[in-house]
Amino acid sequence: MLTNTGPVAKLYLSIIDDVIENMRELFSDEGLEDRVLDDLRHLWESKMMQSKAMEDFRKNSINSSNFVLQLPASYSQTDQEVTASVVIPASQSIYSFPRLKNNSDTLATFSLPAGLAYPVQIPAGVTLQTASGQLYKVNVPVVVTQAAAGQQPVSRPTQKVTEWREPAAPRPAAVAPNTTHPQEVEPSSAPAPSVTQPPQPNTNYVPPTEESSLPQQPQDPAADTLLLQGADSPEPEFRLEESEPSPQPEPMNLSMTASPCGQSLDFQTGTEETLTQTAPLKSRDVDDILKQVIEEEREKAERARSLTSAKTDSPSEAVLGLDLDYSYSELSDIVQLDGPAGNSDLEEEEGAPLDENDFLGIINAEAIKALQEGDGSSDGNSISSSSDGEGADELANVEDEDPLNSGDDVIEQDIPDLFDTDNVIVCQYDKIHRSKNRWKFHLKDGVMCYGGRDYVFSKAVGEAEW
Amino acid sequence: MDSSNDDALDIIITNVVATFRTRCHLNLRTIALEGTNVIYKPEVGKVLMKLRKPKITASIWSSGKIICTGATSEDEAKLGARRLARVLQKLGFKVRFSAFKVVNVLAVCSMPFAIRLIDFTKKNRPIASYEPELHPAVTYRIKHLKATIQVFSTGSITVTDNSNKDPKAKCRI
Repeated sequence: MLTNTGPVAKLYLSIIDDVIENMRELFSDEGLEDRVLDDLRHLWESKMMQSKAMEDFRKNSINSSNFVLQLPASYSQTDQEVTASVVIPASQSIYSFPRLKNNSDTLATFSLPAGLAYPVQIPAGVTLQTASGQLYKVNVPVVVTQAAAGQQPVSRPTQKVTEWREPAAPRPAAVAPNTTHPQEVEPSSAPAPSVTQPPQPNTNYVPPTEESSLPQQPQDPAADTLLLQGADSPEPEFRLEESEPSPQPEPMNLSMTASPCGQSLDFQTGTEETLTQTAPLKSRDVDDILKQVIEEEREKAERARSLTSAKTDSPSEAVLGLDLDYSYSELSDIVQLDGPAGNSDLEEEEGAPLDENDFLGIINAEAIKALQEGDGSSDGNSISSSSDGEGADELANVEDEDPLNSGDDVIEQDIPDLFDTDNVIVCQYDKIHRSKNRWKFHLKDGVMCYGGRDYVFSKAVGEAEW
Repeated sequence: MDSSNDDALDIIITNVVATFRTRCHLNLRTIALEGTNVIYKPEVGKVLMKLRKPKITASIWSSGKIICTGATSEDEAKLGARRLARVLQKLGFKVRFSAFKVVNVLAVCSMPFAIRLIDFTKKNRPIASYEPELHPAVTYRIKHLKATIQVFSTGSITVTDNSNKDPKAKCRI
């Protein structure tokens, strides 16, 4: 099953390459620098990786487990939901915390199995210990991603509560940011997390001793928000700055990178004050984030378009950072960071492919799922405005069976609004056949997102029952 | 021989066909794109919409005429038709539920005995017609009730009728 992921990743990367190359000339015509284009590319790739829609093609280089997880005694109380959501995105996540919990109440040590696909999410309250023995306690949900070897950490500004931005994860190679406070990146070739704070100067490598002092600092304006940005070592100066903390508290996913070299990052996520403030939010937000993450991949193209349009706003470099901020805020507008991940997003995405692929037969896997499960799918939530009003046929002698009573009397279509699946197939069809309630599909040339992962096919055959 | 005298026959309504009108033009494409459980047949110019709850298949035409088939009783047909109209209303069309009419009711019942078709036909010469090459059953039309009965040699009988509730009565005859 996973053999698909290699080609998918390659395909997507080649698509990214193509688009970026073709845009290069346009960008320079517009007067934008190449840096903008590169930023776009990083953003795109990082989002793709973040969306976990496909295997990280570099996961092959993961060496044996770097982490030993020690669950604190109080683990069982915390974040039950988070644990549930943890297992989901990590594509190969083999472990599940509830299982651990059963084993021992107090300290449970658990080794991440080798070949575990990053990124991996770890719920709060877990103490991580790297292979080299470094301990770090995670008080907030953490996403452990993998960084390529040889990444130089970019400057680490003093920590604060920063906003976790999903898109933030920097390049596929690089990794993720971290939050707050007292995190320290060892100067070795560890991957480059960098967190940006708007007002903070980028100070490098906060020594651990200052951790205690750091917690006080985060009381600043950024207050409840965690801002995570990833920067890339290939472009050391490249730094995404978040100018405004979003007013709403952002989820606090921390992502920590584990370099394949086994470099350890000391994370002492202290600052209970700020953390506790965001703590209640994280469980809710994690789920939201996961949903967004799954949807990320689909929005890539649209985002790229929106980004390009955003970037044409200001060419100047100084403003560039702000530009990216705007684009981020645009992105965050696109992606719901809190609140229910509504149907509207889903339909918006599906609306776009519908427009583009008018001439293709689009099979919505939701319908297929519905077929298989024998449930009715959700009713048309988006009410079309193309109501063809009546003509002048106002027959006075309308039969008395007319009144529909706007649905009060008429029974609501009891649609078991099923599980709004995110499984979508976009493809062309060779033949669709139906007998009574048995359907047979012969499809071709399609991309499908199933279970959060992307697959590409040139031929697909399916059967379903309605 | 000629007819069953048995009153305890099971007659089962298998299909009720009804039509109604929405009194407004329907955009088939919109229905096909946004409706659920729809099959678009542009070559014919209609959309089939299948409902689960009353198991109903409806043919929707752009003129606003809708034919509703597959119900197992007249009430169910009406219920399904209203549900359907409700769905269309939700899609944004200004539908009005009018002219609901049951067009056809199909019922089957089975005799416990076989029937000799040729003798049967001879006895019921003007009313029954039998063309073995066309159809293996005797077609027995009762004019005043507008019902059609098909009598098979195995003893199965199907009754199709336009007027309400008569098929049951028909079979008793």
